[in-house]
Amino acid sequence: RLRIQAMATTPERISEKVVESIKTAEEVCAGDPVSGECAAAWDTVEELSSAASHERQKNKESDPLETYCKDNPETDECRTYDN
Amino acid sequence: MAMCTVYTAHSLNSSCSISTPTKTQLGFHQKQVFFYSTVKKTSRRGSSNSSEITCSAESKTVVIGLAADSGCGKSTFMRRLTSVFGGAAEPPKGGNPDSNTLISDMTTVICLDDYHSLDRTGRKEKGVTALDPKANNFDLMYEQVKALKEGIAVEKPIYNHVTGLLDPPELIKPPKILVIEGLHPMFDPRVRELLDFSIYLDISNEVKFAWKIQRDMAERGHSLESIKASIEARKPDFDAYIDPQKQYADAVIEVLPTQLIPDDNEGKVLRVRLIMKEGVKFFSPVYLFDEGSTISWIPCGRKLTCSYPGIKFFYGPETYYGHEVSVLEMDGQFDRLDELIYVESHLSNLSTKFYGEVTQQMLKHADFPGSNNGTGLFQTIIGLKIRDLFEQIVASKAAAPLEATKA
Repeated sequence: RLRIQAMATTPERISEKVVESIKTAEEVCAGDPVSGECAAAWDTVEELSSAASHERQKNKESDPLETYCKDNPETDECRTYDN
Repeated sequence: MAMCTVYTAHSLNSSCSISTPTKTQLGFHQKQVFFYSTVKKTSRRGSSNSSEITCSAESKTVVIGLAADSGCGKSTFMRRLTSVFGGAAEPPKGGNPDSNTLISDMTTVICLDDYHSLDRTGRKEKGVTALDPKANNFDLMYEQVKALKEGIAVEKPIYNHVTGLLDPPELIKPPKILVIEGLHPMFDPRVRELLDFSIYLDISNEVKFAWKIQRDMAERGHSLESIKASIEARKPDFDAYIDPQKQYADAVIEVLPTQLIPDDNEGKVLRVRLIMKEGVKFFSPVYLFDEGSTISWIPCGRKLTCSYPGIKFFYGPETYYGHEVSVLEMDGQFDRLDELIYVESHLSNLSTKFYGEVTQQMLKHADFPGSNNGTGLFQTIIGLKIRDLFEQIVASKAAAPLEATKA
């Protein structure tokens, strides 16, 4: 089975929902695989997966030094002068 | 030039307050007028003082539509587009943390999911997906996009992707350039009519599957089966309601598996086609070497280092849904992004401000997905084309009243 390590973690609140939505979709579709309910359930999975990936993207973009410098711009390692 | 702000917010109480702080700026009188009314734009023409109406028409918003399925790179495209206009795009300050809107100096990007008429539970009960027109409020979409285009601020709802609920609305002020991105920007004929330019991102099924595996396999709970099932379940609605919109687009970016490697299904090497409609006002398609000819070009050789499987370009006229189009195609990927300048120097009509601007824009965002293949290149080119379109529209509007005074 294929496993890929997460690059950045998804916030717990979305991660939980993705797992939950997949479970629901599998249950709903077990009864009737071509119903509107089944499509709607998988659509929810897609929506949450997309939201999770956007959230991961946001978290990944934080550079530790830059985050620190936002709060402490006058420290030695953060000071920048235009000229 | 007279600057003027007219904001009309649709609120429930129909109180009307007009404040006119007159202050002289560059010899012109600047007025701010606030209307609050339940009735849509009734008081605009009715005002006895006509000065603020003429100047609101001057700063008309240019509206761009971007259609694509979820997980097909809309946000990467948006980041490239806003970067062409300079300044970073950020969510509205101090508002809902789950707002989908992005605002920069020049552009405001709104997500059309905010016009869902049914929230997640509503869709579940009715058994419809978000792709279904029944789940979307096109009347409100039309009204608000129209209002923004006319320079009127709106209270736009927020669809919260995490909770699946419709949150309280946020105020959107009319920007210079409004981008509406989502599943249905070209679905409703009234909304389509408002668009100054439209783009469709057409991702082939093979590539969509490969991209979603990359995106979701790391996520807990997902498996190959669940990704496949999700794509399959949404496909009928996608084919019925989303895909047909591409016939209305002024530019389509098609992403297909490569033809350079036989039987490739990894989705890493891509064949990307930029399909540009002919005869669109303020938009002249890009061409390779000679406009209107059919050309196949392999740039690899002494001047450009390419490793396996190399790079192949194609350019030529074609017909797309009965329209005349020009197609520019790139198959393969760059090893060294700075060598892109060699390719750029052979393309014409790029609408760049200086030699090498495409390469510079690509290098600026070398970490974005697609930077080493045709998706990044064509998205950047479209970004420059939109800037050119915007500048031409502004120039033509500035010229129009001048002509009128001469006559």
